[in-house]
Amino acid sequence: MSLVTDKLTTKSLIETGELYSEMTEINRSLINISNFDFFYGEKQALFDVNMDIKEREVTAFIGPSGCGKSTLLRCINRMNDLIDVARIGSGKITVNGVDIYDDRVDTIELRKRVGMVFQKSNPFPKSIYENVVYGLRIQGISRKSKLDESVERCLKGAALWEEVKDRLDTSGLSLSGGQQQRLCIARALAVEPDILLMDEPCSALDPVATAKVEELIHTLKDRYTIVIVTHNMQQAARVSEKTAFFYLGKLIEMNATDQIFMSPEKEQTEAYISGRFG
Amino acid sequence: MNEVDPDNRYDLNSSRKSFLGITWEQALKGLFGGNALVSIVVLGLITLFLFKEGVGFFGQYRESLSLHRQSGLEYVELIREELDSFSALEKYLNSIRSMQSEQLTAEGMEFKEIKATLREDEEFFYDFEDLGYPLREYVLDSNEVAIAARDRYEEMLNLRVHRSNLIEIGKTQEAEALVINDVDLEQLFELLKSKETDFIEINRKFRQSIPNIIEQAPLYENTELAAKMSRFRELSAMFLEELPGYEASLLSWDRKKPIGIGESFTAFVFGNKWVTNSSIQDWYGIAPLFLGSLLISLIAMIIAIPLGVGAAIYVNQVATPIEQTIIKPYIEFISAIPSVVIGFFGIAVFGTLVREVSGWEALSWISFFPMSERLTGFTAGGLLALMAIPTIFTLAEDALNNVPLSYKEASMAMGSTRLQTIIRIIVPTALSGIISAVLLGFGRVIGETMVVLLCAGNRIEIPRFSEGLGVVFEPVHTMTGIIAQELGEVVNGSIHYRALFVVGLTLFVISLLINYMAQKIVIKFQISRG
Repeated sequence: MSLVTDKLTTKSLIETGELYSEMTEINRSLINISNFDFFYGEKQALFDVNMDIKEREVTAFIGPSGCGKSTLLRCINRMNDLIDVARIGSGKITVNGVDIYDDRVDTIELRKRVGMVFQKSNPFPKSIYENVVYGLRIQGISRKSKLDESVERCLKGAALWEEVKDRLDTSGLSLSGGQQQRLCIARALAVEPDILLMDEPCSALDPVATAKVEELIHTLKDRYTIVIVTHNMQQAARVSEKTAFFYLGKLIEMNATDQIFMSPEKEQTEAYISGRFG
Repeated sequence: MNEVDPDNRYDLNSSRKSFLGITWEQALKGLFGGNALVSIVVLGLITLFLFKEGVGFFGQYRESLSLHRQSGLEYVELIREELDSFSALEKYLNSIRSMQSEQLTAEGMEFKEIKATLREDEEFFYDFEDLGYPLREYVLDSNEVAIAARDRYEEMLNLRVHRSNLIEIGKTQEAEALVINDVDLEQLFELLKSKETDFIEINRKFRQSIPNIIEQAPLYENTELAAKMSRFRELSAMFLEELPGYEASLLSWDRKKPIGIGESFTAFVFGNKWVTNSSIQDWYGIAPLFLGSLLISLIAMIIAIPLGVGAAIYVNQVATPIEQTIIKPYIEFISAIPSVVIGFFGIAVFGTLVREVSGWEALSWISFFPMSERLTGFTAGGLLALMAIPTIFTLAEDALNNVPLSYKEASMAMGSTRLQTIIRIIVPTALSGIISAVLLGFGRVIGETMVVLLCAGNRIEIPRFSEGLGVVFEPVHTMTGIIAQELGEVVNGSIHYRALFVVGLTLFVISLLINYMAQKIVIKFQISRG
């Protein structure tokens, strides 16, 4: 834990968060992005992005393909570090006030706080049980009672417990697409993150499975701050409080979801959500 | 001539060009199909050929073993065993003498003085040696009789074949003129059997004189020599105890006991001797060659697996793109080195180096160091590892590459380190692919010929696994090596020729099994990934 800057610990985040919500109904800003430029090699992918993401809200990123919404999402837990040519131009991202691109920040610790769910469900070729406890095992936790407790809590949290409780030993790959995606969410919850980044989590699911995941997002937002990238504007409208519209690497507009869909300020936003391009 | 109406777009008859009624497409299909067919046919022909040439071996070997029994050669061998164990006693005695002279030299004695000292005990040593002469004579004589019997019998068989050949081509007169003396092996064997009393007599004398002579054995003050001498006494006593056993085995030996095809098979599979062009009897036992091949392959795999798999993991998961572009082609380049060059390197550099290292003072605590041989199973195994590494590396790297990036991302996104991701997710997922890579590397190694022929030392003997790890530093011979070495010099169709084919067949089956297993494992891997 000491690897990370002292301010950024799970405990402090939870404590301040709880304290905060007791004090006031207005959520504070948890993620702050300012003047953020991002490059893949020579190609600039994000231009001067500024935004605030509020705690315990669902924020949706929308925009046409290649607009940089997924790129920005992956910057928030530094998954882009895995790409060799990726680099930041200028600006910074802070999570709970900590500059996550500071040299002292350990990405491992960061990613324990900022979980991620991917576009294509990607359970490991292990049992359902092992999938969920993976994040705990790598932290060296091996007490059976603790793991069992965590499996039940996370699978319940991901609304999957009732469906799989009798077959925790079967392979995670034996589940249906929607169940696999919820398993991935359960797996992400096991490390007790504060923020969940979801990169088009429903794009490979059928409408019924999609509805279940959306329902899950609704229940999760009481405890987690969720950022979701989606191609599906109805989905953004259904699940999110705030919506950010990206176009060609720029944040065009960000506002309350109702506002964006009812009366967008920018012409491009209006054109996109009314289906004139995209 | 059909008038083509340019406006009629619905003339749906084919407009593609054809030659002799075959369109290009059909011709290409035929070409590719033909290629596939040729490969299959060639493989089938090779298999058939191996079987056809090899399968006659067991019958021939059975005949050879039968003749070995009927002519009495086997009988003589039983007696020779006694002679061998007597010779071992003599050898032990000689080692006592040479030890004594070495010690005297170490004490600073002059050569003449040593000679004089040794002469005091000379009587004893000569007496003991003299004891063996009757037995030695007896074995030599019996052997000659048996060999003569066998040769005459074989000559008769050859002449019979010759005669039937002559009759076949119509030269009946010449055929009738051939004089073929019937050889009665039983009668010839009676000659041997009648002398059995001599053997009993020899043994009686042993029992009588060995204890007497041993009483005259010199008494040494030096404790080491004294210990050796008392050990010699024990060994002599043991030899005497064994004597009735030899006699009994002679008596119970049955000349007429038939040899079945199963016995010829077990003699091949479990036989510990591979002796060819012998004047007494040829032996074709594959065990020393098979175990030699296995030993060398195991040595090679123990070296190659960590290196190959480790390099694959590094290149696939850890290395920077620049490192990748350097390491990958470099390792793959190793497989471009001709194996004869590697063998040459093994003889000239590696073998010598290993022997020199084994002579280091710092390593003298290892019981089997320093080693006397330069060309050993270890030399060959080390070089074969070099040849297996590119195979294992390339295939294992492919397997790692096949692990979906999403697994890695998912693992990293949960806050696991790169190392944790590799150990817990990537390697387990690619494991079956890695195992099949290792198996194919093994297949590559066990089939390799040039390096083992040049560097393994080529001693045909079952490796002495009882020596523990030291077995690694023994010269061995291999299945591939023996084929390369001997196939050029054998008579077509002879038993030796066929024996080599059966060795080849064995190799073929081993490789086939390995490849089959590797494929099965890969298929299982694909299923597990859903």
